[in-house]
Order: sequence, then C-alpha cells, then structure tokens
Amino acid sequence: MVKKRLERFISHRLDQVPIASVYVKSRGWYFVIAWAHRLCGILMVLFASVHIYTLSFLSTPALYDAKIKFFGLAPFAFLSWMLAIPVIFHALNGGRLILYEMFGSRNDNSMTRWVFSLSIAFVFLQGLLMMLWSRSVSMLFFWLVAATINSSLACIVISKSWKATGSIFWKFHRITGSFLLIMVPAHLMLMHLQPGISQEAAMVIARIQNPFIKWIDLGMLFAMLYHGGYGLISITGDYIESKVLQNGLAALIFLTMAAFGWIGTRLAIMI
Amino acid sequence: MASHYHITLKIRRYDPENRRSWIQNYHLEAGRILRFVDLFRKINNEQDPTFSWNSSCEHGQCGTCSVKINGKPLLACELLVENAVQYFNTPVFNVEPLEVAPVVRDLVFDLTKAYKRIDQVKPYVISPANPPSDQDEYSISPNEMKQYINATRCINCFCCSSACISSHRNFLGPNAMLASMIRVLDPREKEKAQRLKILYGHRGVYRCHSSRACSFVCPKEIDVAHFVALAKAGRFNDPNNE
Repeated sequence: MVKKRLERFISHRLDQVPIASVYVKSRGWYFVIAWAHRLCGILMVLFASVHIYTLSFLSTPALYDAKIKFFGLAPFAFLSWMLAIPVIFHALNGGRLILYEMFGSRNDNSMTRWVFSLSIAFVFLQGLLMMLWSRSVSMLFFWLVAATINSSLACIVISKSWKATGSIFWKFHRITGSFLLIMVPAHLMLMHLQPGISQEAAMVIARIQNPFIKWIDLGMLFAMLYHGGYGLISITGDYIESKVLQNGLAALIFLTMAAFGWIGTRLAIMI
Repeated sequence: MASHYHITLKIRRYDPENRRSWIQNYHLEAGRILRFVDLFRKINNEQDPTFSWNSSCEHGQCGTCSVKINGKPLLACELLVENAVQYFNTPVFNVEPLEVAPVVRDLVFDLTKAYKRIDQVKPYVISPANPPSDQDEYSISPNEMKQYINATRCINCFCCSSACISSHRNFLGPNAMLASMIRVLDPREKEKAQRLKILYGHRGVYRCHSSRACSFVCPKEIDVAHFVALAKAGRFNDPNNE
C-alpha cells in the first residue's frame, strides 16, 4: 500500500518534469530513460578523456600534483560527487538492458525500480564516504573483490552470447559493458575513499606499479574505450544518413579512442 | 464529464506546390466520442476543404490514418476526443504527419516510400517448403504459431518507426523487423539465411536500443521491443549452423 502510494507520488511528480513529461506522454518512460542512458554515456566518455589526459601528466609528478590540486577545490569536489549520478545510472541501466536483451528478463518495471533505488543509494553512499574521509581500505583487496565479481558477470554474459547469432561487435559492446558494470563505480568509490591522498602523484604511481592493479587499469581502459567508442559510433549511425559522413565520424571516433588507448598504455608501461 | 469540448487543432500544413509549411489553427466544437478522423472531416466540411489527410478503413485495421498528436504517433481513427483531452490534459492538440517518409501534402506522407523499408525485408515466403506428403496444405501447429502470432497483428501504420529513438534514417524500423521475424519463425519458409542476413545487417536489429517506444505507441498493443530483443539475443539461430 505504502509502496504503491509512494510510486504514484513519484510518478506523478516525474510526469510534471518539463520536456521529459512531453516524451513520457508521447513515447513512454523507457524512451526518456534511453535518452538519459545516452547522455550519461556521452558525459562519461568526455570525463574519461579528460581523466586520461590528466593522468598522462604522471610522467612529471610535480606537474601532475599541481594540476590535481585544482580538482581538489570545493566546486570540483562537488562535481566529482555529482559524477556518481551518470556513472551509476549508466552502469545499472546498462545492466538492465543486458538482462532485457540477452537474458530474456521482461520484468522491466521492477528492474527499473531497482536501477533508480540502487543509483540513489550509491550516490548517497559516495557522498558519505567523501565526508568520512576513511583511509583504512586495502586497495589490493578492494580490487580483488571488485574484479572477481565483475569478471564473473562478464563470463556469464560471454557464455550467453557466445553461440548466439549476430554481430560480434554488438556482443563485445555488451561484454565490455558487463565488465565495466561494477569496475567503474568501484573505481569512482575507491577514489573517494581516500580523497586528496589517493589522487596524489606518489599514491597513484605506487598503485599503478602493482602488477595486478596495472592489469585491472588496462582492462578498464580498453573496455571503456571500446564500449564508449561503439556507443558513439552507434549514435552517429542513428542520425546521420550520409554514408561518407558516417564512416568519416566512425574513423574519427576510432582514432580518438586509439590515441587515448596509446596514452593510457604508455603510462601503464612507463610507471 | 463534458458532453462537448471546445478544442483547438494546431495542424502542420504543407503545400507541395510552393514547398511551404505552416501551422494552422482550427477551433472546433466536438462531441466527446468523436474520433480525430471525424474532426478532420468536420474541418473539411465546415472550415477548410483544402486540408488533406489520409484514411481508409477507419477502424484501426489499415494503418493509413497514423498521425502525431501532441508528439505521440497514433491512429486518428482510434483516438476519441474525450480520451485525448483526458490523456494529454489539454483541449489543444498539435497535429503533425509522421516523419517516416516525405510529406505529400498536410498530414499525408508518402506511403510508397515508407513501404520501401518493408519491401527490403521481403515480407513474403521466399522459398516455400512442400506440404507434408500426406496433406494438401502446410499446417502450422498452435505451438509454433504461439511464438509469433502477436507479431502478425502488425498493420504497418509506422507509429513505431516514428517513435523509435534510433530515428528512421538508417534503421529499417521496428515494423520491418517484425515482418522479417515473422518469416524467420514461419516453418513454411526454407530461405532463412537470406532473412537473417537482413535482420542482423547494418540496418537491422542492432540499430534498436531498447527504448521500447515502439511497444508504447503500438495501436495493436504488440510488444515490438520483446521480439526485437529476442532477435538480439540470437534466438533465431541460423538453421545452417544448427
């Protein structure tokens, strides 16, 4: 009873959100969620590009520390908390899409409720962690747990898609998505478990020097570049009719992702 | 519940001779159970005989009267004034043609061009299997039919295509995908490989992003997204690989 009332209250309020409400009436909530998924994805690709670019300064730690101090300012700390919203929403909604498309789960309303509830919980937890300033986490243990859970998820998706008919590129997009599902939110959370300290050059270098974490980072980097690149190419393919322009943009996206892949790999090898 | 409504239709007009497009307002007194096709006819009879629109059966079976009302693609013959006022919570309606093909005039779009997408998936049995030797005709069992019976209810009104997040530029469209899948699942069809090539081609199911707008707007209440998701999950395996 309370659950139904709460749902009715939330859905009534959401129906009044400008612009979104027009699309809710004309295309349904899932259309709005699909657009939100896209926009969050684009935002994350942009952020990841800035992130990799900033990390490339690690070769000169003093320069890196000077730049990272800038991100420690209060407005940036707030923005970095806000980043949890697109990250967790895109991850969980991506999980919902994988369940819907690949595992035949049609209980979409319930899955969507979970997406929103867990997203809200994650964002608040993130904020709490930022305020608590905890330093007692073992990075190796943290990544071992996250990577084990996530690799298991990716293996399930691989086994499901392996023999199915269809595009290998699309399957790989889903496989990389399932690999990033926990890894990216975990990465974000880890950074905020030790704000400031964990982002200092010496700490980042020490972390990347660990062979296990180095492989984790490289795995995340390439999964993210493929996943983001495929997503962007897919969006351009939806709206651009000219084959020449479509191929040109696909090549540009591929080259950009390859360049970021090169920067990231070089960094991991050098450190 | 009002017995009459004062409604305003803001209709997107298009004059092909001068290639001019504009919004024209029509104010109408309408009974609550009038359909939108009735309103269009009322405009023709009482206000403006030049206003063009499309319809044929006018009972939700042919799909020719599809338009966008306040952004929602639907069949004008199925929408009652009373329901529209309640659903959109306004007596003012923006009426536009679907953008799935070039507009011929006002609300009439080029159905021949729209149907070209359906033609691409070959909506017929390409290579029919012979009936069993002891029968004159090929009978499909209820179990086989159950898998795709809902998909066969599609009337190609193009509402799903118009609503789709993937737009209609490079995607053949949810209705074209349904037409393809019906024949993939049809046990009478022997030519599966060619069909799967189109279904999984660059204008096929992978253009779908599961926004489920197709299922939301479908006037025949077909869960289109469910069928497209089945295809993406690889449920229609290539018989050559089996």
